[in-house]
Amino acid sequence: MALAAIFAIQALADAQPVVAFPLYLTVVLLVSLQQNRVESIAVAFVAAVAVLVIPLASAGQASDVAPAVLLAAVLVGVAVAMSELARHAREAAIDTQSRLAELAASERRLRATVESAEVGLGLADLDGRLLQVNEPLAALLGRSRDALAQTTLIEVTAEEDRDALKDALGMLRNGDVTRWQADINQVCADGTLVPVAVFISKLPNTATGEPTLLIQARDTSASRRSDAQREGAAAVRQVMVTSAGLDQALPQVLAALCAYLGWDAGQFWSVDADRQAMRVRYAWNASGAVVEGFLHASRSLVVVNGAGLIGRVWQSGVLAGDADLEHSADFGRVEATRSAGLRSAVAFPVVDGGEVIGVVELVAERARTLQDDEVTMLATAGVELGQFIRRSDTAQALRRSEADHRAIFERSPFGIARISSGGELLEANPAFLQMLEHDEETMRTIAWPDLLHAYDQAASRQHKAPFLAGITDGSSVHARAATGAGNWLWLQLTATSIPDSSGRPEHVLLMIEDVTAVRETADKLAEALEAQRDANTNLEKLDRTKSEFLSIVSHEFRTALTGIQGFSELIRDGGLEPDEVRAYGGYIFSDADRVNRLIGDMLDLDRMESGRMTMRSAEVDINEVLTEAVSRAVPSATAVEFKSDLDPRLPIVAGDRDRLIQVVSNLVNNAVKYSPEGGTVTVTTRVEGRYALVSVTDTGIGIPAEEIAHVFERFRRVRSGAAQSIPGTGLGLTIVKQIVEMHGGKIWVESAVGHGSSFHFTIPLAPEGAESLQQLRHG
Amino acid sequence: MAEANAGGTAVGQGSTASTFTVLVADDNEVAQRLCKRVLEKAGYGVLIAADGLQAVDIAMSQRPAMILMDVAMPGIDGLEAMRRIKEQIPTMPIVIASAHSMASDRERFLAAGADNVLSKPFRLADLIAIVAKLASAT
Repeated sequence: MALAAIFAIQALADAQPVVAFPLYLTVVLLVSLQQNRVESIAVAFVAAVAVLVIPLASAGQASDVAPAVLLAAVLVGVAVAMSELARHAREAAIDTQSRLAELAASERRLRATVESAEVGLGLADLDGRLLQVNEPLAALLGRSRDALAQTTLIEVTAEEDRDALKDALGMLRNGDVTRWQADINQVCADGTLVPVAVFISKLPNTATGEPTLLIQARDTSASRRSDAQREGAAAVRQVMVTSAGLDQALPQVLAALCAYLGWDAGQFWSVDADRQAMRVRYAWNASGAVVEGFLHASRSLVVVNGAGLIGRVWQSGVLAGDADLEHSADFGRVEATRSAGLRSAVAFPVVDGGEVIGVVELVAERARTLQDDEVTMLATAGVELGQFIRRSDTAQALRRSEADHRAIFERSPFGIARISSGGELLEANPAFLQMLEHDEETMRTIAWPDLLHAYDQAASRQHKAPFLAGITDGSSVHARAATGAGNWLWLQLTATSIPDSSGRPEHVLLMIEDVTAVRETADKLAEALEAQRDANTNLEKLDRTKSEFLSIVSHEFRTALTGIQGFSELIRDGGLEPDEVRAYGGYIFSDADRVNRLIGDMLDLDRMESGRMTMRSAEVDINEVLTEAVSRAVPSATAVEFKSDLDPRLPIVAGDRDRLIQVVSNLVNNAVKYSPEGGTVTVTTRVEGRYALVSVTDTGIGIPAEEIAHVFERFRRVRSGAAQSIPGTGLGLTIVKQIVEMHGGKIWVESAVGHGSSFHFTIPLAPEGAESLQQLRHG
Repeated sequence: MAEANAGGTAVGQGSTASTFTVLVADDNEVAQRLCKRVLEKAGYGVLIAADGLQAVDIAMSQRPAMILMDVAMPGIDGLEAMRRIKEQIPTMPIVIASAHSMASDRERFLAAGADNVLSKPFRLADLIAIVAKLASAT
């Protein structure tokens, strides 16, 4: 078209080729640039023809044609050159274009990758200013990308991590490090913290020379939560394994749940024994005073089945949570909850054998949603806790029982020891050691073997089995044992076999009681009782004696009075011969005299026995006393022969002569009385040590052996019935014995029935005798 | 004793078959003499025994009409003598004359088989009345 136009112009103006040539050249150049080679050469060729046409057609002057041909050739040549150039340029352009397209595609892919990456990615300058972030990083930081473009990495990092990050940036900037990674908390726009694993690497920029920082950040809250749950669960198990009991374990379990799962307080609600209500049994405050009011309100609360969060969990047996406590209608303790600023709560059942035995409640001040894994973890903890509570209830009961028994063993006032079936002391309680004043070692090695020996000896005496004879039945023996300090104790030892499962005695439980005081008391009591019995016997005897005495005395008096009364009545009635009157008067006199003697003897005896009789102390010749007494007896004792064997060396003694004559006369008269006709009465004296020994021996009827011990008792003669025809008061020998004893002497009798009797008495030689002759009181 | 025995025998020998004879058994000579004097004066025959054994012997051999028996005597006492005599002669009247004169003694003697009890010392009239009563019963 352009060529045609140029040709038309040229033809109209009939212009010279030289004039048209630039135009043609321009067109050709343009076409060469624009079109491909063939076309440009074609155009050039047409243009050359056009340049040639005019001169050839018009005059054909050689001068005109030659420049035209030259010009045409130039045109063609230019076209060829140009088209060649253009072709090269075109090829280069196409190449460049395809490379650019490739680059663009690559960037698109990269961008897509960056955008779709799970991790947050971003670029920042060396000061941490964010240049570019991907969507995940923006989401992680809780901000829009635009907002982030104006912030630094420092600004979106939690306060406590900022310094570390600043340091890291400094090191990256200085080239100290090229990479840095850490777990830090980022702050979202709403202020919540997000745990993040951040990785920063320094990228060199060759184009600008200014390096950039590639930031990779990953939200680790999920893995942290799962770590926390795992650690929390482990901690809870740890508590259950190591705790001594519920009281120790449950607060720790609550503390672990709070600490690991991020709750501010925890409470354990347990079902009452009657299963009517639940109450807080343990609480843990991980937060501070703010929660205290809530815990306090909980403590005073009694939850019934189905009521409120706790009641619902109790009823349903499944975990329940209130993420929004402020608007939770059925959550009790609303006021306390509000004032404590609590926003979240979860409660899960503590289950044992399918039965809810308690509920654990966790509360938090921040609103938090429960993830499934946390729900699972808490439900599992509830089951484990239930099993633990049952185990520890059982264990606690066992421990308490064990502790009770231990306390009994340790604190018992009785000695307790465990003895092996081989007889070795296995264990001795403090009371036992203290009782025997031994330490455990000497008890084991010395005292116990001795005690075992003593036990067996005592058992043998009491006809019981030895200690190790087999099953001992808990019977007791009393044995003597020496303490470490050398005191002797009476021990009551009670042995009981503790059989093993097969019934063989495994060991013996020995109870040891110090019964020394008891024994001594018992002995004293027995003595006292014996004494009392004796006293009673004596009293009874005394009483009997008194009655007997009265009976005997009245009998004696009445016998004497019979004659006195009867004969005096006869005399009074008159009509008697003078001889009769005289004879009866004699009877009356002798009986009256007998009554008088009786009274005298009784009074004497009474005075002697009550200690009111005083003896005169004077020098007395015993031999002379004997001679006097015999001479008094002789006249009325014609039927017996008297013999005397008096020791002439017998010293003078101190005594009451009249009383001593009374003694000897009594003995001599008795001897005479009980001697048969032709019998012999022998009186002897001799010195026997520091005493004068006096004996009065007869050849009479003798005294039966059973009577010997009683001859000095008052009225014995009468009671015995023996020799009753022989007159006497029955008090003579009793008085004799009193007098001898008042002189400090003794009296006794030897006798054989049918052969006679010997009465012996001693009187101490002076001066002892004199001393004893004081006003003696006879017991 | 021998003297008393001789006296008793003498009295017994002097009595007739129709005479109501009383055996006085007493170890006390004064009592023997008193009873003998009073009973003889009242017309009774009197035998004397000085102890229990003698009393039994005489009771068996002489068969007195009754016995006036002391209790406290040597050998066997009056109660034993009474038992032995009553064993042989159940109908023999025996009056216990004892200085054991408490109320319980009286009961004791009657329980032992005595027909009557005379407490010493006694009024002479009481002695005569007791004997007379038995004498009239025979």
